[in-house]
Amino acid sequence: MLPFLLRRLVNSIPTVIGATILIFFIIQLAPGDFLTSQLLNPNISKEQIDNLRRNFGLDQPLIVQYFYWVKNLLQGDLGLSFAYQQPVLNVVAPRVLNSLYLVLFSTLVFYVIAIPLGVYGAVRQYSIGDKITSTLMYFLLGFPSFFLALIVIYFILQIRFATGWDIPVGGMTSQNYDDLSTLGKFLDVLKHVAIPAVVLAIGDVAGTTRVLRGQMLENLNADYIRTARAKGVSEFKVVYKHTFRNAIIPFIAGIGGLLPALISGAGFTEVVFSYPGITPMLLDALNSQDLYVIAGFSLVGILLLIIGNAVSDILLSVVDPRIRYA
Amino acid sequence: MRNATAVPATTGAAQGVRKPQSQFQVAWRQFRKHRLAQFGGIFLILLYVMALLAPFLAPYSLSSYSTENITKFAPPTVVHFRDESGAFTRPYVYGFKQELNLNTFVNEYKPDPTQKYPIHFFVKGAPYKILGFIPGNIHLYGVEDPGNVYLVGADGFGRDLFTRILYASQISLTIGVGSVLISTVIGLTMGALAAYFGGWVDNVIMRVVEVIASIPYLFLVILLRAMFPTNINPIFALYVIIGLLAFISWGGLARVVRGQLLSVREMDYVAAATSLGATDRRIIFRHMLPALSTYLIVTISLAIPFQILAESGLSFLGIGAVEPYASWGSLLAQAQEGGFSSITDRPWVLIPGFFIVLTVMCFQLLGDGLRDAFDPRKRQ
Repeated sequence: MLPFLLRRLVNSIPTVIGATILIFFIIQLAPGDFLTSQLLNPNISKEQIDNLRRNFGLDQPLIVQYFYWVKNLLQGDLGLSFAYQQPVLNVVAPRVLNSLYLVLFSTLVFYVIAIPLGVYGAVRQYSIGDKITSTLMYFLLGFPSFFLALIVIYFILQIRFATGWDIPVGGMTSQNYDDLSTLGKFLDVLKHVAIPAVVLAIGDVAGTTRVLRGQMLENLNADYIRTARAKGVSEFKVVYKHTFRNAIIPFIAGIGGLLPALISGAGFTEVVFSYPGITPMLLDALNSQDLYVIAGFSLVGILLLIIGNAVSDILLSVVDPRIRYA
Repeated sequence: MRNATAVPATTGAAQGVRKPQSQFQVAWRQFRKHRLAQFGGIFLILLYVMALLAPFLAPYSLSSYSTENITKFAPPTVVHFRDESGAFTRPYVYGFKQELNLNTFVNEYKPDPTQKYPIHFFVKGAPYKILGFIPGNIHLYGVEDPGNVYLVGADGFGRDLFTRILYASQISLTIGVGSVLISTVIGLTMGALAAYFGGWVDNVIMRVVEVIASIPYLFLVILLRAMFPTNINPIFALYVIIGLLAFISWGGLARVVRGQLLSVREMDYVAAATSLGATDRRIIFRHMLPALSTYLIVTISLAIPFQILAESGLSFLGIGAVEPYASWGSLLAQAQEGGFSSITDRPWVLIPGFFIVLTVMCFQLLGDGLRDAFDPRKRQ
């Protein structure tokens, strides 16, 4: 297992190098470098800026600059954010964590909704329940995630006006967050994360449920299921142990791409709920041309993809005993 | 080979009954049986006609608003069909008057029964050019000047939201399709190049595909958008967004095209064509690419709704269509102006979203129908 994972890691190196080249050259193509904004600063003279340019290696040819940048990356230095005047890592890290909370919680909700619905749709094919969920899912597929979020906010606000319940619909913490105990802080964040996470999960459920239902149907008609039934295996075991385990294999293979896809997909929900995740900051960075922050988030995305791929390899070997990593 | 000899025998027997059909004729017959897909297709035609005729259907021009009679976020105008005595009359609307609500200190719009504006059809109004060259100034409906008819309310500048939805459909319905077409061309070319040349060309192209796929989609779009200044020309911004969406989405197609071409290259009929002395170009265009046509039709029809969703998302975030142009996504961004509570005060700003849902669903129904129609296992 370990040698296999290491080999996968080595195989992903060319992709990572390619991605860093892409990111670096996009940054170079963008107008201005990170000292351009300082030109307007009356406290810094032109000579000082030229000195800084030389110190940062900005007067060197592009290729040399690229290697400087990669050398710094390897040392964990993602550059300096112009807007925050801080190392990018310090600016980016808390946002990545926030997004991860949201995404992990929503993944949990996502599976809790998607798996039973997909299994139900296959086991009770063409029943009224199946038809209703299928139609609903089809309808949901057309909803952009931010539109779904806006509609949910609309209804929550109506409920809030009608009942006076304090349902949080924005941000990640309450105003009195700092005064709360550790448990209170946890519950407070959970309360704020819950609604965006559920909205995010529901938005993604539609596609997966449809595919899972198809996969289940395909496996339910397989010969080995007939054999299992013939030898008297209980229906529950037939569905969950025999069929389901085979039906989810393609999903587990896709988990690698799930984490980065979810983080990027969560962006719209984050913006609508003004949740302090990655995407709102990324948009601010775009507006202030804070290039190293944008690059930093993209690099984090690549890192998550590599981690996700490793996780999915491990899970695949657990679920599917036919897969042996020799 | 046993199969190959059996097939002509059966088609020969069928020929006595009816004419042989091409693949597309078979698919069309199958498609005609698919009710929902036809429904989707018809609705799409209606939507595109609506987009084409937007300047005529809309009572105002894209960004007309009054500077003296401010109608910021005016609610939908109620159209009356009965006059005060209850008898049916020509539809009319009341004028507005604004009152300050002393509890909330918000200006509220109250209909003013003293001002009555009948709705006229085929009225003269703001001049426009359909498709950029057919001039006109007739609008389907409208009221006389100081009056306003806002079927679904007004936006933050007091512009008619219905007009803006109609104009936005032109952008929302073209950007997705345009970017899919461009990405298809890129994907086909790159896939064919990779399959045909092999070696380092193949290697480089496939690595580029991997690199593009390795950066999360939204981050990549924002990263690429950072290459251009934030305040670029609004028209240019539309082209940028088409280009970005095409650039990030050709990889999957290129991969499939490459794989398909590589497997088709080994087929007997290609070997036969080669041994008959066909040129490379003839083999590629007459024998290999047609094998991909059904796959392409289905992929394109299912990629369009995805790109329409992507465009609406980017416009919602403010990096797609920008003022003075509008797309359904950028119209929805207004729902966020002024904090959360503003949605409950003016729920009509959510209406553009339903147009997105309708369009995407129609494209999906159509795409699913096409997929089933071309799938021999689903023949009826």
